Amino acid sequence: MIGFLAGTGLFALGGAAALGVRPARKGTVFAIFAAAAQPFLAVPVFRALTGEPVLTLSLPLGFPFGPAVLRLDPLAAFFALIIGLGGLSAAVYSPAYMKMYRDGRSSLSGYYLFLGILTAAMLLVVTVQNALLFLVVWEIMSLSSFFLVGFEREKDDVRRAGIYYLVAMQAGAACLLAAFAWSSTLSGSLDFASFEPIFAGNGFVPTALFLLFFIGFGVKAGFVPFHTWLPLAHPAAPTGVSALMSGVMIKTGIYGIFRILLLGGGGNPVLGYIVLAVGLVTGVFGVMNAIAQHDLKKLLAYHSVENIGLIGLGMGLGMIGLTLRNDTLALFGFFGALLHVFNHFTFKSLLFYGAGIVYLKTHTRNIERLGGLIRVMPITSVLFLIGSAAICGLPLFSGFISEFALFSGAIRALSVGGAVPRAAALGGLAGLAFIGVMAVLCFTKVFGICFLGSPRISPRETMTEGAAPLLAPMFLLTGFILLIGLLSPVILPFLGPLVRRFIPGGAGPEWIQLVDLFRAVSMALAGLAGLILFFVLLRRLLLRGKSVAAFKTWDCGYQEAGPRFQYTAGSFASPFLKLVAPIIPIAHRLREPDGLFPERASYESHSADLVETGLIRPAGAAVRRILGLLTWIQTGQTQNYILYGLIFLIVLIIWIIGVR
Amino acid sequence: MNRVPGLFVLLAASVLFTGLAARIKALWAGRRGAPLLQEVRDLWKGLRKGEVLSRTTSFVFRLNPSVQIGTMVFAALLVPTPGQRALFPFPGDFVLFAYALGLARFMTVLAALDTGSSFEGMGASREAAFSTLVEPAFFILMGSLALVTGQTSFEAILSRLDYGTGSAVLVKSLCVVVLFIMLLVEGSRGPVDDPATHLELTMIHEVMILDYSGPDLAFIVYAAGLKMVLIATLIADLLIPFNVGAIFGALLYAAALTLVAAAVGLVESLTARTRMSHAPQFIFVMSALALTAFGVLLFSLRRGF
Repeated sequence: MIGFLAGTGLFALGGAAALGVRPARKGTVFAIFAAAAQPFLAVPVFRALTGEPVLTLSLPLGFPFGPAVLRLDPLAAFFALIIGLGGLSAAVYSPAYMKMYRDGRSSLSGYYLFLGILTAAMLLVVTVQNALLFLVVWEIMSLSSFFLVGFEREKDDVRRAGIYYLVAMQAGAACLLAAFAWSSTLSGSLDFASFEPIFAGNGFVPTALFLLFFIGFGVKAGFVPFHTWLPLAHPAAPTGVSALMSGVMIKTGIYGIFRILLLGGGGNPVLGYIVLAVGLVTGVFGVMNAIAQHDLKKLLAYHSVENIGLIGLGMGLGMIGLTLRNDTLALFGFFGALLHVFNHFTFKSLLFYGAGIVYLKTHTRNIERLGGLIRVMPITSVLFLIGSAAICGLPLFSGFISEFALFSGAIRALSVGGAVPRAAALGGLAGLAFIGVMAVLCFTKVFGICFLGSPRISPRETMTEGAAPLLAPMFLLTGFILLIGLLSPVILPFLGPLVRRFIPGGAGPEWIQLVDLFRAVSMALAGLAGLILFFVLLRRLLLRGKSVAAFKTWDCGYQEAGPRFQYTAGSFASPFLKLVAPIIPIAHRLREPDGLFPERASYESHSADLVETGLIRPAGAAVRRILGLLTWIQTGQTQNYILYGLIFLIVLIIWIIGVR
Repeated sequence: MNRVPGLFVLLAASVLFTGLAARIKALWAGRRGAPLLQEVRDLWKGLRKGEVLSRTTSFVFRLNPSVQIGTMVFAALLVPTPGQRALFPFPGDFVLFAYALGLARFMTVLAALDTGSSFEGMGASREAAFSTLVEPAFFILMGSLALVTGQTSFEAILSRLDYGTGSAVLVKSLCVVVLFIMLLVEGSRGPVDDPATHLELTMIHEVMILDYSGPDLAFIVYAAGLKMVLIATLIADLLIPFNVGAIFGALLYAAALTLVAAAVGLVESLTARTRMSHAPQFIFVMSALALTAFGVLLFSLRRGF
């Protein structure tokens, strides 16, 4: 445990150490500290994941914390693994990427300082098991990421995104504060372990508490309707931070929900269906919005919403399995959800890093202005393609393995229980398929329009392959994608002890079934890879000695087709967006050519997030109206405020003497 | 290897299927039509040719044909044929089947965008949009069948479907209709697509492969035929009882495939291609029917099926 804390400290220390050196060196210094932290983190994490006894450290903190317990159990270790790897890849990626901000106006010191604090805080979030201390590190995490989102604070939209993010995080934290206060009042202790009896049963208190926790953590994770901060904050932050936030930080919300589940929460059968439904809606809504986006990073942010939905779907299946006492269903649900947490970390970080290289070299995130990048940045393109295939859940890549587990869970739920679980399972099945096929649409759009075809803006000499430090983390993440995609049985021993903890009794035989299934799947996938390879070689053999001529693309006899004739992202997505127009409203602004000598004409289209326009803004306005009724309290005169304090004290004294 | 006769029929049928459908269309129109083995000749010719590649394209375009044929042959190994076991059944193998088809679609769409041609972009865009309606329907269908049989693999689901109540006949016929529409959409046939031409602005599949030639085109054409036969095989599995034995099963299977091909030809002869903007309505019928089947099953199961 001391080693783990040392690793955590090294991240924060790295951020502090970067303060003291020249701007050009800051990144390197931070990366060295991040790398040095890895062995300290890796050893305890792997020991915990393989099921060794839980490492515990009790800090004798005084009032108000009480004894603060840190535990590195398999759940904490699993998330610590993701945080450690995510922190390392952001640290390696950042120096080369942040070069473009080395103009003296931006504060690189602040960037590395908060990056270090953010990583360290996340590592503490998953290990601290004292409610009050947890809230403290949780706030440190939110605040440090707020400063990172606002890095380019001179830009208007960045400032707006930063404030929006901060408000959303505080709203979530308020729910958590209430939930933790409630549970520690009931249990009389701040230690998480003492909450277990409260969650037992399915009465009002455990159900309401679970929902309160689910909302509080759900804001961080980005479940619909609490997702609206993601598409604002992710694009605003520098890429290293976007990748860390999207790939890692939102998972701390998922961690929180899993922690509550591990403490026995979610016992009410209705909760499983609620989580399943929220997951399903989040997945479908996220990917539909992603299809409508033409800003590369905003699109990726909406895909994070989608993947959080898939994770929620798995959680819901697992919870339904627990209440139905169907261990196989519970196992597949939780296994799929947890594996998807890791998989989403790898491919989403990879895609953000790829998008970062594109932005660095072309200075645009607008998909419509890109094209043909595969010629100038072949390595980035191939890695981005692998990430795209993985996020679509296509076989041979990691996304398929976790989605297959979710499918398996849903299929098993079909044959248990009555009509309700069956209908829910079918909804899950059809929803998963729908989400998957929409993701294919979205990522064929992204990859096809940005990287394939002809360049839509004239290529500049600066448009080159990304430097080695930018590509290195991408290679690391690609390695994980291919490893899990092709050799999934290899990673099962590290997930087994964790997943089985969620199921009373450990689900031994069911776990063996699961391992056997994934052996069969990985053999089948090897067959698929072999067949494709066979035909690649056959094609080469058939073409040996034949003429392979290069010519222009067939343009049906039209001679002047240029890059501007290509299909655009907007036109590509249009047939689908017309189908879902009621869910994804698109505003068109057309200025037609006018008069005999038309001077200018223009056309714009913008998609709107229905939750943002239909729920968050009206709700925000309503809150402001109600609070506006109380403005008379704020007199601005010190005497009045002292009076309020006095009244509060008197009420308190009366309450203590009278009621207690 | 109890599996060989069926697999042989499957792989052979994929070069005959389109020819058969075309023959039916020709006969209906009062023409003689091309010989049944025309596609074999075309494929053989293509395999021996060199090719022309667009300068705009990248490795994605060159990789695509091998992925097409590789995934389709792989999917063929997952599907049981009437009277015979699948090669390697495992729980949830139909998910892998659908996702292998998804991988093929991903690559087709990317290869089409790789050429930078606006025609191919149109086809790619429609293919991607229409598939969003097909895929959920397929899973609702398989989910319903998994529900009624309590099984989780293709083979087990399809082999335990022999029950003879009234609602079972209803469900089976609904499933056949759903799969037939899926065959028309995925196989790019009328009334959604038109296989006869590729220069109209209304095409989907044919327009996406405009720039292919030689062995690449042969691979793609074979894979497209195989894809149709795969879905036709599922229809045959529903129509033919599972316990008929390997040889007899293979014969019945061949007959069922002929029937489906003839039906495809007839549908194309009798219906006009729908307007592109109306195609989704036609495809959405799939989901509606599949949901109906599920509803029937859900309620008949409660009453002890």
